[in-house]
Formats: sequence, C-alpha cells, structure tokens
Amino acid sequence: MAIDDPRGTSPCDEPATSRRDIDAARLVGDERLPCGRLVSHVWDRARAAGDQADPHQADCTFCRQALEGLTALDNATRTLRGERPSAHTVAERVVRAVRAEVRLGRMLPLDDPARELRIAQTAVAKVLRRAADRVPGVRAASCRLSLDQSNTEVTIAMTLATTLDQPLPPRAAEVRRAVAYAAREELGLAVSGIDLKIVSVLEPLKSTASAEPAPQNGRGR
Amino acid sequence: MQRIGDTADDLGALDDGLLVTRAAEGDDDAFAVLVHRHSSALLALAYHMLDNLSDAEEAVQEALISAWRRLPEFRGDATFRTWMYRIVTNRCLNASRGHTPSVPLGAVAEPAAHDGSGEPARAAESAAATAALAQALRNLRPAQRVCWVLRELQGLSYEEIAQVVGENQQTVRGRLFRARRTLMEEMASWR
Repeated sequence: MAIDDPRGTSPCDEPATSRRDIDAARLVGDERLPCGRLVSHVWDRARAAGDQADPHQADCTFCRQALEGLTALDNATRTLRGERPSAHTVAERVVRAVRAEVRLGRMLPLDDPARELRIAQTAVAKVLRRAADRVPGVRAASCRLSLDQSNTEVTIAMTLATTLDQPLPPRAAEVRRAVAYAAREELGLAVSGIDLKIVSVLEPLKSTASAEPAPQNGRGR
Repeated sequence: MQRIGDTADDLGALDDGLLVTRAAEGDDDAFAVLVHRHSSALLALAYHMLDNLSDAEEAVQEALISAWRRLPEFRGDATFRTWMYRIVTNRCLNASRGHTPSVPLGAVAEPAAHDGSGEPARAAESAAATAALAQALRNLRPAQRVCWVLRELQGLSYEEIAQVVGENQQTVRGRLFRARRTLMEEMASWR
C-alpha cells in the first residue's frame, strides 16, 4: 500500500473508524488531491495533529497548498470569536418582560373561615420552594399542588436536590417542617400532605460554605 | 454535580435542568438565572448570523420570551442550551430570509487599515483579515453560515449542531467543509 493511501489513515490515527466512515460517505464538495488525500482530512489532521507532525503532509506540495490560508482563517476566526456584544440590556429586558407576564396557574383556596380567599398556585409554589431552599444543602426543583376532594386542603408534591454531607432522613424532615410551616403560617393554606422526593445530588461548595457558619434561618422550627 | 452554597438566594449555582424544572412551573427567578447564563452566547450567535446588533438583540429577546412561554411543554429531550440555540437559529434564518441588513457589522472595520505602511501594520493587518472574514461570512449561504458559526465561534459539537439545525451529522460536516472552503478562498482573494 502506498503511503498515500487514499483512505489517508495511518495506523496510529486514533479516530480511524470515524475517519473511514466519513470517507466512505464523502462530504459533498470535498476534493481528493493528486496525492490521494481528501482536502477535508488534510485540514482535520493539520488541526488535530499539533504535536504529532504528519511526515506525508510535511513533504507533500498538494497538502501544503491545501493548507494555505487555513492558519489565516483560524487566526481571523479567533478574533471574531472574541467579538461578543454585551447581552446585559437584552437579558434585563427579557427578565422584566417575563416578570410582568404573570402566570397564575390554578387558584387554590386559603384556609379562611369564610372560604372566600384564593391564591395563585405559582405564588404558593414560589413561597414553598423558597422555604425548602432555606434548609442548608437543599434546593427545591418541582413543586406541584393538588386540591383534595374536599376542595379545602392541598397536597404538596415537591422534588429536591440535596447535598450528601448529612443523612437524608433528618434533612428531609427539616424540609417537611419548613414547608409545612410556610404553608400554614406564611400563606394560611390547609395542607393534607407533603410528598418529598429527592431527585438530584448537589455538591457542597467547600471553599465558602465550610468557612462560614451555616446561616441561621428562623423558619420551619 | 452542581456545587451549592448555603444561602437560599444562589440559584446561580444550580444546573440548567433544575432551573428549567422550576421555570417551567412559573418560577421567574429560576428563568432569570437561565437568561443571564445563556444570553451572551445567544446574542453572539445572533449577531454573527444577522450582522446587525439591534436585529440580533431583538431576535434573542423574542426567542427567550417565547421560550418562557413554551417551557411548560419543554420535554427535555434536548438540553436547554441546545433548545435555545435552535429557537434563536430559526429566528435568525427567518429574519435573514426576509431582508438584507441595513447596517452590516463589517462596515465597522473595512480593510482601510491594510495599507500596511506604518509600524503597527501587524495589528492593522489582523483587523483587516478579521474584516475580510466577516465580509466573507456575510456572503455565505445561511445554512452553511449557521453551521460554521455554531462550530467555530460557539464551539458546539457536531452532534449538538445537528440537533440545533435538525440535520444529520454528515450534512453538518459537509456544510462546514464547504463553508470553510469558501471562507478560505474569499480570504485568499482579499490577500
């Protein structure tokens, strides 16, 4: 086999199979140089090689010609990549628009004697998530609320992400207390049950979290 | 795994998946974190696609607001990032189909600098080369341009690009190859 095997893959070429696949289904517009190599391969190799110079490519006039301009393109590309307009204004505008676009969800009854007061589900979820978030090492994910058949009590279903630096059962109990407290005392909601599921693991932020004492949160106890 | 401190406010430490779950249920704070996290890359994408900052800002703004409305239907078979890239890309493609931009970004640094007479000729030449690239990019067909911008300026993998543009990876590679070839030729003719 000639060194200029059109397959263009030497034995030491790690992604040999993928290269062969690409060659088998040749890219539209690709061109085989007189030395047998595909232009696309020459470019890929030049970029990937770095430390490992390819003896063929170093000596081959056709390959060198095919590579002319690649460096210039790459340099200009790098500069263009740095052109990043500030997105601050756009982000602020979006956040403002989103906050203004109130999404209420279902209305839930509050536990008042007259049974006249209702509260938007999203508002409840926000307060309850925040209550869970205040438990150290815990973040709420989903918080769904369902109204019982009585139409007076609400079941809270919450999923959580937690760190694993403390046993989960006491921590879950703490979340349950915090959520129950917030539902009852902050909102005035009659709660029939709280389902908690831990769905994801968080890693403690060692650098700051271990240096500082855990913040005191007066809620939920 | 996501790292987390102990203050309740730092939603910024949460990963996209968790934030998307919350945002989909109407948590605008969680969505605000996503917006601040991704808007810079999205704006750069739109900017290099549309060639015009105010058009790009409008495209990104509309894309993010429509994402907020559509989040409850977001199934999570793509990442939030890929999904957003897709929405922005589609907006840019639709926009560029309609009209040619009035104030192209390349007008900023046209090769006036490339007389190369003075000492800082090197910097001038590099600026001129970048302007030439921006000009060449402008002439690319939008479908190729998207692939090139996503790959070379945004650093997406072939797989991600394929998801964003809704084509297979082979098609993406082909478009990238032709884009690169055209850009090299145009830049060579400039030199």
